[in-house]
Amino acid sequence: MIKRLVSYLKPYQKRVWIACVALLVATQAKMMIPVIVAHFIDDHLRPRDVSVKVIWLYGIAVLLIQLIAVVMQYIHLVSFQSIAQWAVKQLRIDVFGKVQYLSQSFFDRTPIGTLVSRVTNDTENVNSLYVYVLSTYITGIITVITVYISLFMLDVQLATWTLALLPIIFIVIYWYRKLTANLYRISRSKLSEMNSKLNESIQGMNIIQALRQEKRFRKAFTTANNEHYHSTMINIKLAGLMLRPAMQLLCIFAIVIALNYFGFTSLSTSVKIGEVFGFINLLERIFEPIYKMMIQLSQVQNAVASAERVFDLLDQTNHSPQQLGHEQPNIKSGRIQFDNVTFSYDDKNTVLKDVSFAIEPGQTVALVGHTGSGKSSVINLLMRFYSPNQGAITIDSQPLVQFDERELRNKMGLVMQDPFLFTGDIYSNIRYHDDIITDQQVLEAAQLVQATPFINKMPHQFHELVGERGTSFSKGQRQLISFARTIAKNPKILILDEATASVDTETEESIQVALEKMRAGRTTIVIAHRLSTVQDADVILVLHRGEIVERGNHQELLKQQGLYHKMYCLQNHATLHHAT
Amino acid sequence: MSFALKNSKQNGIYFYARFLLKGGGNLSVFKDLWWYFKLEKSNYLMGIAMFVAICLLQAIPPYGVRMVLDTIAKNTITTKDLTYWSLIILASGLLTYGLGFYRRVKLFASANRLSKLLRNRLYDHFTKMSPQFFHKYRTGDLMARSTNDVQAVSLTAGEGVLTLADSIIQGGLVILIMAFFIDWKLTAVSLLPMPVLALLTTKYGRLLHRRFHDAQKAFSSMNDRVQENISGIRVVKSFGKEEAEKKQFEQIVENVVHKNIAVARINALFDPTMMFIVMSSFFLAVAFGSTEVLHGSLSIGELTQFILYLGLLIWPMLAFGWLFNIVERGRVSYHRIENLLQTEPPIREKPDALITVPSGAIHFHIPTFHYPDIESAALKEIDIHVEKGETLGIVGKIGSGKTTLLRLLLREFESKQVNISIGGVPIRDFKLFALREAISYVSQDPILFSATIAENMALGKPEATQDEIESAAKVACIHEDILNFKDGYNTTIGEQGVTLSGGQRQRLSIARALLQDSEILILDDSLSAVDTRTEHAILQSLRENRKNKTTLISAHRLSSVEKAHQIIVLEEGKVKASGTHHELIQQNEWYKQMVDRQQLESLILEGGGMSI
Repeated sequence: MIKRLVSYLKPYQKRVWIACVALLVATQAKMMIPVIVAHFIDDHLRPRDVSVKVIWLYGIAVLLIQLIAVVMQYIHLVSFQSIAQWAVKQLRIDVFGKVQYLSQSFFDRTPIGTLVSRVTNDTENVNSLYVYVLSTYITGIITVITVYISLFMLDVQLATWTLALLPIIFIVIYWYRKLTANLYRISRSKLSEMNSKLNESIQGMNIIQALRQEKRFRKAFTTANNEHYHSTMINIKLAGLMLRPAMQLLCIFAIVIALNYFGFTSLSTSVKIGEVFGFINLLERIFEPIYKMMIQLSQVQNAVASAERVFDLLDQTNHSPQQLGHEQPNIKSGRIQFDNVTFSYDDKNTVLKDVSFAIEPGQTVALVGHTGSGKSSVINLLMRFYSPNQGAITIDSQPLVQFDERELRNKMGLVMQDPFLFTGDIYSNIRYHDDIITDQQVLEAAQLVQATPFINKMPHQFHELVGERGTSFSKGQRQLISFARTIAKNPKILILDEATASVDTETEESIQVALEKMRAGRTTIVIAHRLSTVQDADVILVLHRGEIVERGNHQELLKQQGLYHKMYCLQNHATLHHAT
Repeated sequence: MSFALKNSKQNGIYFYARFLLKGGGNLSVFKDLWWYFKLEKSNYLMGIAMFVAICLLQAIPPYGVRMVLDTIAKNTITTKDLTYWSLIILASGLLTYGLGFYRRVKLFASANRLSKLLRNRLYDHFTKMSPQFFHKYRTGDLMARSTNDVQAVSLTAGEGVLTLADSIIQGGLVILIMAFFIDWKLTAVSLLPMPVLALLTTKYGRLLHRRFHDAQKAFSSMNDRVQENISGIRVVKSFGKEEAEKKQFEQIVENVVHKNIAVARINALFDPTMMFIVMSSFFLAVAFGSTEVLHGSLSIGELTQFILYLGLLIWPMLAFGWLFNIVERGRVSYHRIENLLQTEPPIREKPDALITVPSGAIHFHIPTFHYPDIESAALKEIDIHVEKGETLGIVGKIGSGKTTLLRLLLREFESKQVNISIGGVPIRDFKLFALREAISYVSQDPILFSATIAENMALGKPEATQDEIESAAKVACIHEDILNFKDGYNTTIGEQGVTLSGGQRQRLSIARALLQDSEILILDDSLSAVDTRTEHAILQSLRENRKNKTTLISAHRLSSVEKAHQIIVLEEGKVKASGTHHELIQQNEWYKQMVDRQQLESLILEGGGMSI
């Protein structure tokens, strides 16, 4: 996984190096200042050899170095953040792109919220992973190293002694990490336990009250609340023992060692007082970056979990059915044939059994049946969203699997029950990413589906915004726009999946007219709940539990007095009732 | 804007003042929390005392360093001196460590107890609220207040108090020590850049706030875009526009990157600025201090000590800005929590309410009933009498008032116009607890908890034996289903366990209600997801098991109420017709049509009448 994370940084290699150099310079410059002051004290202040010139010299040097340090620090801070942003941008695009090609069955199984959160929130966590690792950790390590370089510059012997601090620090970090990894997990699970209890209680308060169990639930919640409190307190105690206070204590130890070293040395030889000053000043600076690294350990763990989830999604192999073979058949006339097609979504429950039918070019075929009879599955197979388990589907006598994706999508137009429009104006929705479609063609498509009258009434006409934030269109109006979107690409085969269901009566009439015009010259498959909309179909197929149980035109089916007849009666009864 | 630029100096001061004032306003959260500080008086007082002690202790190591340095410089150092001061420094370090730990634990324990307390209070409060409350606030909102807001308040009571004390006590003490024990002139000179730090960080904060807002907007529009894309994935796929969508997404992500880098540009200013200011302080201290050393009014040891003290000031300066962040959130959150806690339950029990469990015939007399804030009446001219032991069927279209009628019996809502009595005593004369004991209610979409099946069933009667549970399950026709699960009655349901079908959930909650063995059972469309055959079986066993007990069934499917002693047809809140099944078939046109229609429907569902 680290390899993959690093690979996203590759394109910005140069920037990473520049940032690292800036970081190095900034840190080194920062550390130079105590060293310079130490020299100032030893060479000038103590011998009382201070002239205006010397003060100026040192003053300017210190200011310059300071300025360099500040500028370089700014550069590396911004660079690391930007690099992380760019890397995550690519990661996001990759995940988003990946999601586009996942199979329909994947979307049926995975809640929308989860997927959205993978693409946005989890990648955001990966962003902080980059920032933490790049900024905090590299900065921390470089700071410690440069402090040591400066220490060695001041006094090799003492600097060697202070190296003994490092293993102690490592031991503290090691134990902190080891202890917290587990405790952090426990306290998180306690928290989620408490929260899910709370959530459940809020949702079920009605029933808790009705069953008079308030006291019992209150007690259970208090217990969870207490457990969470105790696990939090352990974490707090651990942090109090091992984080900042521990670092401060270590710092004191280091200072005492340095003082004793200089003190004892001074008993035999003279000691440069500036060095002592510089040493103590530098020692103090080791601990802050280490503290920062330690407090971010848990967040890093969190971010790593997010990265794992993102890469899991990127590794999904559940793709939509792809084109097989290298032939490039075209859809010319639009003849559709199903031969003994059997299909199951989960390999357990068969939703289509031995379904066979043929639709001649230009014909309209209607699929009817109650909910769960398998109508929509027929369309899922025809659209190649799923592959059948058995049997064959052909278009113009060519196997469906051999068609190029683009050919298939361009020649088949699907209109669904819930018209889905994207954020943007009417133009962009009808054109839908297809720049070949001219404005004129957009207008014609709208005209054909009877959408022009209502669009022209809009304040901005074709530039009226639709989608979540736009003016609210009625469902019928939205459906008309989605009709126009489908018609604009002039498909050979038209598939209407409950396209007229749940449409208000106002637009119902124009939708009926629109449908008639759309069907002209196209092979059409209609799924409809309302039988009145399928009466003029050339063939009606009645599905029941995945099988075609009746077929024929409206009159023939009525004469059979079978399932279709029952359904027809039921619906007309209903309409009769509504009329009265 | 040009005016502002010309007066940038005044402007700066103005911002600083406003910053302080605004921050000061937010500090009122400490006043809001005063009751808690009083409650935990000893802990907080101890904490503050520790603060002072720690600050004083922290001043010792630099002093020790100074003493050692000065003796080294004068070449008068002895082993004894060295050991003496080393021990002092070590002792103060260890004491600081110990006290620091103690202070942290005291303070954060108090803060955590506050969050525990608030959560318990909220939970208690929730148990007293009626459905209206839960409808108004929604689960997500209530959860947000009980988690994020409680956390923000706890942060104020812990981290907030800590930083406030840090900046005031530590900052103040260190400055005092510097000024009085070392050199007040040196202190004044070295501290000159510090107000600039406060000023600049405030300015950055304002800039950052705006840019951060933009970045969040960009992020949420990206989120919306992804949401839209995935919701419309079928359209994307059927048009084959995956690549085009990806291209469009790239532009949106580009914008996010752009806005985030804009944030980073400001954010990255903080550290260098702080460093520059601190370094300037340091520089001024050395430069000014050197001249004093030359004049002999300051020793090198004192200068070092001074510079070590300066290091102790960095955090309090930063803490100041950090503090305002915490208290601002804390104040808002505290008010959100208080708001909830102050909501009065809409249903109040009479002070002398009866604790006896109501029993007997139910009588509804409702001239008219409106839901709060809704103009049209949900129920009108209702007068229904149900004898003890009878079954009442309630039918009608969606929105005709079936559920409203039942909820009034449960006293989820009330009004002066609503007169419902059980056994001749108005229900408002009973304690809610007593009323609820008399009634078992099963809703259409029952709530089950993440627990085992047995625990869910025994929810209202935790002491129920396995036999009792099983016989209730048998009456509700769910026993066989349960035995088919891997762990039988011990199967866990919910997120981590098995998922039940709608019909299973309904039957389970009927069994749960039956375990209550109340005199009145309400089935509020709670057989809708059960197939007709099972429904018959359940109703049959209910009749056998609930002799002399009252049952109220509302249903969409008329077969559920066929055998009821009395059926009422509701339409737009009024009783349109009433009678037995047979009477209604003969008298009521709508009822008869519905019966025919539903028979046909079930025939189609079964695939009946197929011609092949």
